[in-house]
Amino acid sequence: MLPAKQGLYDPQYEHDNCGAGFICSLQGKKTNDIIHKALDILDKLEHRGAVSADGKTGDGAGILIEIPHDFLVTQCNFKLPELHQYAVGMVFLPKKENQRSYCIGVLENEIQKQGLEVLGWRKIPVNPDVVGAIAAQTEPHIMQVFVGRGSDTLSDHQFNIKLFIARKIAEHTIFSSKLSEASYFYLPSLSTHTLIYKGLLIPEDIKGYYQDLKDPAVVTRLALVHQRFSTNTFPTWDLAQPFRYMCHNGEINTFRGNLSRMEAREELLENDLFGPEIKKILPVILSGKSDSASMDMVVEILLATGRSLPEVMMMLVPEAWEKHASMDEDKKAFYQYNACIMEPWDGPASIPFTDGKYIGALLDRNGLRPSRYSVTKDGYVVMSSETGVLDILPENIEKHGRLEPGKMFLVDMDEGRIIEDEEIKKEITTKRPYKKWLDKNLLPLKNIPYTGNKTPVEEEDFETRMRIFGYTQEDLKTIITPMSVEGKEAIGSMGTDTPLAVLSDRPQLLYNYFKQLFAQVTNPPLDGIREEIVTDTSLSIGSDYNLFDITADHAKKLSIQNPVISNEDLDKIKFIENDDFKSTTVSTLYETQSGLNGLEQALEEMIQEVEKAIEQGANIIILSDRGVSPSMAPIPMLLATSHTHHAFKRSKQRSKFGILIESAEPREPHHFSLLFGYGASAINPYMVNEIIVHQTEQGTISLDADKAIENFNKAIAKGIVKVMNKIGISTLHSYRGAQIYEALGLSKNLIDRFFSNTATRIEGIGLYEIEKEISKRHTKAYIHESKLGLPLEIGGDYRWRRDGEAHVVNPSTITTLQQAVRQNKPESYETFSKLINDQNEKLMTLRGLFEFSSFDPIPIDQVEPWTEIVKRFKTGAMSLGSISQEAHENLAIAMNRIGGKSNSGEGGEDPKRFQPDQDGNLRNSAIKQVASGRFGVSSHYLSSAKEIQIKMAQGAKPGEGGQLPGPKVNPYIASVRNSTPYVGLISPPPHHDIYSIEDLAQLIYDLKNANREARVNVKLVSEVGVGTIAAGVAKAKADVILISGFDGGTGASPLTSLKHAGLPWELGIAEAQQTLVLNDLRSRIVLECDGQMKTGRDVAIACLLGAEEFGFSTAPLIASGCIMMRACHLNTCPVGIATQDPESRKNFKGKPEHVINYMYFVAEELRQIMAELGFRTMNEMVGQSQKLNMKKALDHYKAQGINLSKILYKPEVPPQVKEYNTQTQDHQLENVLDFDILSQAHPALYRKEKQHLEYRIKNTNRTVGAILSNEISKIHGAGGLPEHTLSLKFTGTAGQSFGGFATHGLFMKVEGTVNDYFGKGLSGATLVAQVPEKSTFIPHENIIVGNVALYGATQGEAYINGIAGERFCVRNSGAKAVVEGIGDHGCEYMTGGIAVILGDFGRNFAAGMSGGIAYLHSEDGTFDEKKFNLEMVELEDLQDSDRTTIQGLLQNHVDYTKSPKARSILKNWPESSRNFIKVMPTDYKRALELLAKQELEKTV
Amino acid sequence: MGKIKGFMEYDRMKEPVIDPKKRVKNYNEFTLAPKTEELQEQGARCMDCGVPFCHSGCPLGNLIPDFNDEVYKNEWERALTILHSTNNFPEFTGRLCPAPCEEACVLGIVNPPVSIELIEKYIVERGFNEGWIQPEPPETRTGKTVAIVGSGPAGLAAAQQLNRAGHTVTVFERDNKIGGLLRYGIPDFKMEKKVIDRRLEILEAEGIQFQCNVEIGKTITAEALENEYDAVVLATGATIKRQMPIPGADLEGVVQAMDFLPHNNKAVDGQHDRDAKFLAKDRNVVVIGGGDTGSDCIGTSNRHGAKSVTNFEILPKPADSRTEEHPWPYWPFKLKTSSSHEEGSHREWSILTKEFIGDEKGHVKGLKTVEVQWKKIPGERPQLIEKEDSEKEWPCDLALLALGFTGPEKSLPEQFGLTFDERGNIKGENDYQTNKKSIFTAGDCRRGQSLIVWAISEGREAAHQVDSYLMGTSTLPQKNKAGDLVAV
Repeated sequence: MLPAKQGLYDPQYEHDNCGAGFICSLQGKKTNDIIHKALDILDKLEHRGAVSADGKTGDGAGILIEIPHDFLVTQCNFKLPELHQYAVGMVFLPKKENQRSYCIGVLENEIQKQGLEVLGWRKIPVNPDVVGAIAAQTEPHIMQVFVGRGSDTLSDHQFNIKLFIARKIAEHTIFSSKLSEASYFYLPSLSTHTLIYKGLLIPEDIKGYYQDLKDPAVVTRLALVHQRFSTNTFPTWDLAQPFRYMCHNGEINTFRGNLSRMEAREELLENDLFGPEIKKILPVILSGKSDSASMDMVVEILLATGRSLPEVMMMLVPEAWEKHASMDEDKKAFYQYNACIMEPWDGPASIPFTDGKYIGALLDRNGLRPSRYSVTKDGYVVMSSETGVLDILPENIEKHGRLEPGKMFLVDMDEGRIIEDEEIKKEITTKRPYKKWLDKNLLPLKNIPYTGNKTPVEEEDFETRMRIFGYTQEDLKTIITPMSVEGKEAIGSMGTDTPLAVLSDRPQLLYNYFKQLFAQVTNPPLDGIREEIVTDTSLSIGSDYNLFDITADHAKKLSIQNPVISNEDLDKIKFIENDDFKSTTVSTLYETQSGLNGLEQALEEMIQEVEKAIEQGANIIILSDRGVSPSMAPIPMLLATSHTHHAFKRSKQRSKFGILIESAEPREPHHFSLLFGYGASAINPYMVNEIIVHQTEQGTISLDADKAIENFNKAIAKGIVKVMNKIGISTLHSYRGAQIYEALGLSKNLIDRFFSNTATRIEGIGLYEIEKEISKRHTKAYIHESKLGLPLEIGGDYRWRRDGEAHVVNPSTITTLQQAVRQNKPESYETFSKLINDQNEKLMTLRGLFEFSSFDPIPIDQVEPWTEIVKRFKTGAMSLGSISQEAHENLAIAMNRIGGKSNSGEGGEDPKRFQPDQDGNLRNSAIKQVASGRFGVSSHYLSSAKEIQIKMAQGAKPGEGGQLPGPKVNPYIASVRNSTPYVGLISPPPHHDIYSIEDLAQLIYDLKNANREARVNVKLVSEVGVGTIAAGVAKAKADVILISGFDGGTGASPLTSLKHAGLPWELGIAEAQQTLVLNDLRSRIVLECDGQMKTGRDVAIACLLGAEEFGFSTAPLIASGCIMMRACHLNTCPVGIATQDPESRKNFKGKPEHVINYMYFVAEELRQIMAELGFRTMNEMVGQSQKLNMKKALDHYKAQGINLSKILYKPEVPPQVKEYNTQTQDHQLENVLDFDILSQAHPALYRKEKQHLEYRIKNTNRTVGAILSNEISKIHGAGGLPEHTLSLKFTGTAGQSFGGFATHGLFMKVEGTVNDYFGKGLSGATLVAQVPEKSTFIPHENIIVGNVALYGATQGEAYINGIAGERFCVRNSGAKAVVEGIGDHGCEYMTGGIAVILGDFGRNFAAGMSGGIAYLHSEDGTFDEKKFNLEMVELEDLQDSDRTTIQGLLQNHVDYTKSPKARSILKNWPESSRNFIKVMPTDYKRALELLAKQELEKTV
Repeated sequence: MGKIKGFMEYDRMKEPVIDPKKRVKNYNEFTLAPKTEELQEQGARCMDCGVPFCHSGCPLGNLIPDFNDEVYKNEWERALTILHSTNNFPEFTGRLCPAPCEEACVLGIVNPPVSIELIEKYIVERGFNEGWIQPEPPETRTGKTVAIVGSGPAGLAAAQQLNRAGHTVTVFERDNKIGGLLRYGIPDFKMEKKVIDRRLEILEAEGIQFQCNVEIGKTITAEALENEYDAVVLATGATIKRQMPIPGADLEGVVQAMDFLPHNNKAVDGQHDRDAKFLAKDRNVVVIGGGDTGSDCIGTSNRHGAKSVTNFEILPKPADSRTEEHPWPYWPFKLKTSSSHEEGSHREWSILTKEFIGDEKGHVKGLKTVEVQWKKIPGERPQLIEKEDSEKEWPCDLALLALGFTGPEKSLPEQFGLTFDERGNIKGENDYQTNKKSIFTAGDCRRGQSLIVWAISEGREAAHQVDSYLMGTSTLPQKNKAGDLVAV
């Protein structure tokens, strides 16, 4: 029912995110009211959902209730058995009657075949009028079917299985029937306990549509509700949630891998209850369904195996048990055993689930979705993404709780009680002897005895082999050596400017044709360094077993800690002598003389050999490229691996063995992660090992060879974690086989044959060209004679060399550009642009493959003037810190002069620059960036912006964070970043307030509140699916969407990220344009593009593909004097640009005129092109891709297979659908509570008079305080008002971002509860959250503030009379806070301020904390050290000054909140002060001492 | 690579030399070898640029950052391999090249550039001293024969490359010894001839045959050569000297520098005594021409014991440092003071010689000059304007004309039936291949008078083309010409 694939739009890249919740009665009271309350919950979560362009069609919503037996009895004209003795199916059917009756027939037939009885059908009364226009097109005919047991002897379990089989077979039969409306057929539920009403509706219309729900006789003890926010703009009826057993808020990042592994498991399914029918129910997961729908289908089959629902949930979404220091043995064993069966379904996930008997919810290991619950004294449990969704009197609250990472919350409906996580899990984990099973069967690699058997030494000489596998000196020096010395990947800077692999003249490794995908917006990338406790790289290898047999067999696995293994470890496995394991080595070489035929034949034979081996009982297949010779060349290992993986999946034998790799090829993290991603389970990089040994012998590496190899393997493991983290995956176990890559430059044939299900959008080379590349390398390796050149080529990928890979930025282009702008010489610019454009055309970039066509010339003076055009130009986000003050201000002055925009980058800005200086130059950056570090992001900073940019990802390193090392943080940088000089700063990979699309919508809303005049810009990086993400972002109400190319620059990035993550902007901008136009969302937003854009031609192409604003970074830097040292990360930039060294900065010679001249030249070149094509204005030009053609004369052998038609595709839409920005977004700020306050607060705001005001507050009152603060900042500047000038008291539940960017002078108190992002970006105000006086619960045992409180706070104070959720004070750089308990990852990345924590705290406290101080209190003064992340902090005893500080803060806390806890601590102060511990960052301490010393020196 | 902050720690080092007063007493090289550690420090100054302009500025495409790094790390043998991979004769360029690489060095934007040439020279010297430079004859011979006409740096480079590709190479030289300008154009104090001999030994051991005193076109006819060899490379240089057609040019004592210098070199070599007409001792010497050859004449005259040495240059005195007209990284026209100038000379700029004045014996005794100005009209060649009332007379007993060369001699190419380009050079239809498929051209005779480093580059590139012509394909290295730093 989704629109077909067209152009670059592909429905499979839709994403889901949602609001979800449930309510149930502990006392088992069945009421109709519960349904209404549950639907109310959805109403209150409406801001978490989205609406399509028609304003009416939601992304889908639904409700699950118990079977309303008494009601149904009255509605059916046939007799129903007792409740639970029959099943009710909710059935979506085709609209057309003939097709409908066919479907009914099939379903009835299958039910009967199972020996069950069809009791009858009931047409559901619905009101189609409430359905939106888009949804109406696909509205199904909905009926209920009633199924009886048919026999009395059937157990419940047997009955369920028969229902399951009947439904599955009916589904398969109908879907394969070719009926035109086959896809209408769907059973939302078929159960003896529960019933689901759902559809493509907005929540408020659910009961309007389903008449049943309005009937007071429809009663239930529980109700589970859900509404979708999908980036998807073509939602469907069947994908509305809840599903049969669960619903899901979040995204399963590992989905592709889970799917593939599930298929493999199906090979082995066998069960007596199913009998031979079992093959008919396959595949378990229907294709084309969402991640959540698929997960539900897996839950179903696992339930059929006899596992309980909580057990199934634990299997699918395990806690982070691998590195859990204090988890009990049985639980660990349960998880480890189940890890042998099932990889985690990983990603942000809050999963409410129910089978009618249990209702509960579970949170992912990272705790990336909010889940709050309240238990009332009158016996209700309410759980949802936000607190305050139902009005409950404070005195009725028994407990406020939250789901913690990896934890489960469960209600036993029959017993009428909440079962604690520990109790549920204890019961489940002790049911079977998991530990014993593991001890007996699991074989850790280190336990395999070394037999001394060795792989024979290679005959071919070392250097020849290096040449065959394409090694260069750069590989040795730049890639391998740093890893083996440092144990981590080398860093580089600036963007990549070499040709795409498919356009390169040099033979490329197959790996280079794949780009890593990464998370942006719909789910967060992770931080495997700071949050190591949730990551894991261990893998287990061996045969799989039948899911239905829960026996010791599953544990027969070889387990490997770091699956990058040494030669010795490989030999152990090669020559293993063990009954459970047998390995066979299969060669991956082919005869070069036979060319393509030889390669094809070898691929074929390889499969035959593996087949033979598994027949003979091998369960470990080692693919090996050892033994190359003049006649035998290696098949690319990635090809061999993926081929084996897919071939055996197709032949349904994949579960029988694991793949090990023995290869000379892999040397970069990208190579390894690709091999794992396409099915490998362990890799032995023997050539690298040899190289390292050689290097140590030569003295190039002055380490012991074993140590150096260990370092290298460690570095690779870290690199792989980074690659996984980019897409939000925590464990290699789930990453394996997940294929999270996009191919760039490979033909569809090749992909379908060897890498099926990988996106490849411009096609490209096939097996023939791959063979040609191998043979080119192979031949050259042999004819090479060292005396004629170097034994190993230099390389030139990272640093330009004449004979190395081509670079767009090279001596000639740099020189001509600099001459042009310095001497204002148009001829030089012409030479420059010709060089660049020719180079492009010489096949370095995709845009080089285009030529302009359909000329329709007009006189150039009719084209809009350059002064208009440059207003659409921007310079890129480069922070002060990454570049020098001189260079930063130079860009700002230049762009302000011509009416373009410069970008602050992620580093704050000196408020002095917000006003013109004495010379009349305005140094204010028009664009203020908000990135994950939130450095210097305050109310005043945001108020100074014309545009606020949310950096979701950066082209050079999408999905990664950044780091500014301490030495670069000089006092000036520190002051604008609001941090301590010389303390290193970390930008986390994710924004901790954006784990999903609705969170982004919230941040956009926050920023819009913080500055209503500024446009909000969301920066994305090109990758497959970026179009649907852009559609989601447009629905989240961004004003501007920037699509960056992968090749953008950076001040520092791991080398492999520079090259291998993200895609060219040509693909991204075209996909975004097409998708936005298809959905009529294009006119609402401005589309911007950047990424190595340099000439007017580049701009023209971007514009024709859909962009209307344009960013430049590298070129204006070169214009300012940059000579591409690529040493930005070293602080040694000799021309004073990317350095903070005062001496080097003196060398900066750039002038604003240089940048202006450059912009002028580009605009003029663009005007020429516009004149030729016949465009008077740029608006006319946007998206007119028919003016582009693919170059005809492509004589490049590799480029010939490229097909750009998808990029040039123009969707057919009605004329009223606009292709460029014509309107502004409706941000719906008119209902913001701040406006009420503003209307009353004049005396305080304007006259600084003290005022006190009181308001009611609801969870839908979001971002309270930001507009007020914006007004204060505009009037009074950064200092705001005197403290406590305006005192505000709110009663109720505060919505998200309460006190966001609240500035000096505000005192804001909530009596009640508060949602997520409390005090986000706090800029000086005092915030208080107090338990209502009428509440009777103990504050420090209850959660009253949500997750991620005080994120990026820069100044101010906060007092919290209860527990706050996960990631408290993350990236706090100056606020002081008192709280009575917190969740995991407390004070993460904190750089300043003080946190006093009076109660319990979660795991991983102080990870990445480089500054500020935390004081923790416990009743007995002892603390579990394992809960701290001690990488950057030390635990200390208090000094007197600390005691004074704490005492003062606690006194405030008592004054503001009446906290009993704080009061009792203060009462026994001398004694209780001993029960504090001080958490002090090592860096911070050092910096404070240094500063004190400097201060002292000043005074002397 | 390299030492990250090396360029901030160490200053540029100039090669130490013997005091001018002492060194003019003989014809030996006068440089002194720096200490190894000093050279390592110089290597450490290299910044390992993302875009190494030096590597682009070097016509050979020397892998400068790469060998700098090896020197810094004290890995001299590896440095030598890298250096030799693009340059057959670093000992020549290390002494004689004006080092456009150093002008293009990125460090040069803000500080004195890396001493690239110094490092180059001592890498190769270390190589010879350690015995790392050994003949590497080809393992197999192709059976193809190649004749190379001319034994200057272009011819020798082509010879070595082609020989290593397995062809049988014969080098023909019309003079009595191998080396062309290297041997008889360059004075010994800039490069002692044993430096050439040392390299020739290697070349001979690798199997290259040398035939001196054979002038193609005379000793052997062009036709015979063409018939006998599978391919011919003409590397005959640009040997036609620019004349000075003014009154008195035929007087005794008005001597072409390229007669004066070879005569002296042969004398130093002990081949003959110095002829009085080429002797500067106790004479007032005027060297006309301010280029490198002029400098060599100055140095030689001082070593003869000249009474005075004056140097005329028709162009105005250049600025001391780079001007905007010649921005980094291009070759700057700035004031260069050569080692010969340091040894004592008087320099005059913007001066034009109008007439040589003879004495009664028909020997020059003075010359008349005027001051000149250059008038620049955009888009046209600059015009020379004589200043009124600026005539001056200079005493002069020996006038040395160092005015450069106008192009290759025509007779031999004509015998082969080759075509010329508009500047009178032998035309390579397809770069190095002439209008006759088996005849190739390289060096100054193809591109006009130029630097040694260009000559070697030409020889290497031509060798690749010859090899391709002979074998269908070639594995001989070829530089990526797109990398050449070209001024616009």
